[in-house]
Amino acid sequence: MKLAAVDYVILATYFAFVIGIGWVLRKKVSTSGDFLLSGRSVPLWITSLAFIAANLGAQELIGMAASGAKYGIMTAHFYWVGAIPAMLFMGIFMMPFYYGSKARSVPEYLKMRFDEKTRGFNAFTFAVMTIFSSGISMYALGLLLHLVLNWDFNTSVLASAAIVLAYTYLGGLTSAIYNEVLQFFLIVAGFAPLAILACAKAGGWHGIVSRLPANMTHSWRYMGSASQNPMGVELFGMVAGLGFVLSFGYWCTNFLVVQRAMAADSMSAARRTPLIGTIPKMFLPFVVILPGIAAVALAQMAGAGGAHLYELPLKAGTHVKDYDQVLTTLMARFYPAGMLGVGLTGLMASFMSGMAGNVTAFNTVFTYDIYQSYIHKGAPDSHYLKVGRMTTIVGVALSIGAAYLAQYYNNIMDLLQFVFGFVNAPLFATFLLGMFWKRTTAHGAFSGLVGGTIAASLTWGLTVAEGKGGVFGTLYTFPSVMAQNFWIAIFAFSACFLVTVLVTMMSPPRPEKELEGLVYGLTKIRHDEGAKWYQRPAPLAIGVSAMVILLNIWFA
Amino acid sequence: MDLRLPSGVFFTVLGAIVTGLGILHPDMRAPLTDVNVNLFAGLGMLAFGAFLLLMARRAAHRKS
Repeated sequence: MKLAAVDYVILATYFAFVIGIGWVLRKKVSTSGDFLLSGRSVPLWITSLAFIAANLGAQELIGMAASGAKYGIMTAHFYWVGAIPAMLFMGIFMMPFYYGSKARSVPEYLKMRFDEKTRGFNAFTFAVMTIFSSGISMYALGLLLHLVLNWDFNTSVLASAAIVLAYTYLGGLTSAIYNEVLQFFLIVAGFAPLAILACAKAGGWHGIVSRLPANMTHSWRYMGSASQNPMGVELFGMVAGLGFVLSFGYWCTNFLVVQRAMAADSMSAARRTPLIGTIPKMFLPFVVILPGIAAVALAQMAGAGGAHLYELPLKAGTHVKDYDQVLTTLMARFYPAGMLGVGLTGLMASFMSGMAGNVTAFNTVFTYDIYQSYIHKGAPDSHYLKVGRMTTIVGVALSIGAAYLAQYYNNIMDLLQFVFGFVNAPLFATFLLGMFWKRTTAHGAFSGLVGGTIAASLTWGLTVAEGKGGVFGTLYTFPSVMAQNFWIAIFAFSACFLVTVLVTMMSPPRPEKELEGLVYGLTKIRHDEGAKWYQRPAPLAIGVSAMVILLNIWFA
Repeated sequence: MDLRLPSGVFFTVLGAIVTGLGILHPDMRAPLTDVNVNLFAGLGMLAFGAFLLLMARRAAHRKS
């Protein structure tokens, strides 16, 4: 793939705009709250789009097209099952406690609800995790740009990191959030035409259905047993593992996304942030997954001269398919100079929104939950603003370090991602019990988290999938790594839930007075009387649910 | 800052560049495209940019 001058002009225009937005917003920053929490003043439509854009990193974009080509329409489960229900739950049931408690971060909520050790555990693992995930994403992007454009890995990694640093350093969270919205628009502008062109060339959805195996064009029909569908996952593992434990754990407790809703200007807007976010979210599969599915159909169609219209990319020097290159090779087949620049800018934009999301979340958790809590208490606010700004630089530098680590030790990164899965999976049980059962004690929560993590490692160590896991022996063999991941999550959640309940029963309860505003039943939730029906969370959630159910039936 | 303003300007500029390319080089094609992608996508971006600018103007009027 070769870029023309106009493509570079487009890329440069985009860079100028993101930095310009940061430059204008720098004047709004005068306290640490402005820098790290946006001063809780961002309009609803912006927080809603930022809520889903922060999750739409380069890895997600590349990975969804790759999974589309590998598994077909089942990939949409990551949206329709693995995101929407959790986002609705978060808006309706959990946001009142996050926003109403006045906590500045998710770990800080844990401190208020439970105790210092539970907060410390969460803050520390979260900080490490965000650094590594932004590093891994940076590595993925650098690798791809090197493969398709022959850009130098060092230059592209350092240049894109420098731009993210520039606008987050200038305008803090507000700048990150505002840019995420621009980036979201650009991702859609860059990839929706690709989806339309690829789909039309493959003969529309009917053309795709007629060329692909049936289990790639039906999302539910082949879920009965793991051996029938390309993902190797059965119904229960999918719904309980992905749809419940993993997705609720991510969308309801991961500060990266929760932070966007907490920046909203009122409780009502904070609750509606994830709810309104679900509307674009449910249609994203048509932009990010569909090109991958269409690619498989195109690879079977003969063009002029008998050659296939498109060949699925292979890893250099092997016959192994490299699905990660599907998105970029499709762009090269469909986009002339001009649109190619827009598509590439969209890819860069997705990388930046993902990375800025990680960096700003890391910032806040480090400054408030680690620095202010354990290193330097009781300093004036201007001190924490300075620390927040410094942490931005450190966070970006550490991400770059993680990207190089990923470049040199590929397998270590695999393992690390796995370890983070262990830490994340039980978390939702802790929040569920903490928010909805006032009896839950701090000792219960902490032992539950530890118990859940141990259960996750045991499940991983005793089962095997595609040759991975099984370090302590093999009790069971999963048909795919994905099924293994889902079941690890299920065991981690159940263990955390049980241990929390057991230890809670053995430890003394906390006085109810201390739990006001933190727990269901002891918190007044405003029901927005006087608001129009479409401005209230419940009707919104019912409408969204109906739309998602229809989409699922349509593509069942 | 009203975000609709800068993003409206951004998409107008982007749309103008891509539409202009589509008009100047109507035969520009990638291996698998049959239509003038730049023209259509560019017009779409122009329309979106104009929509954002219009919304920003309406909001500014209401405030003053």
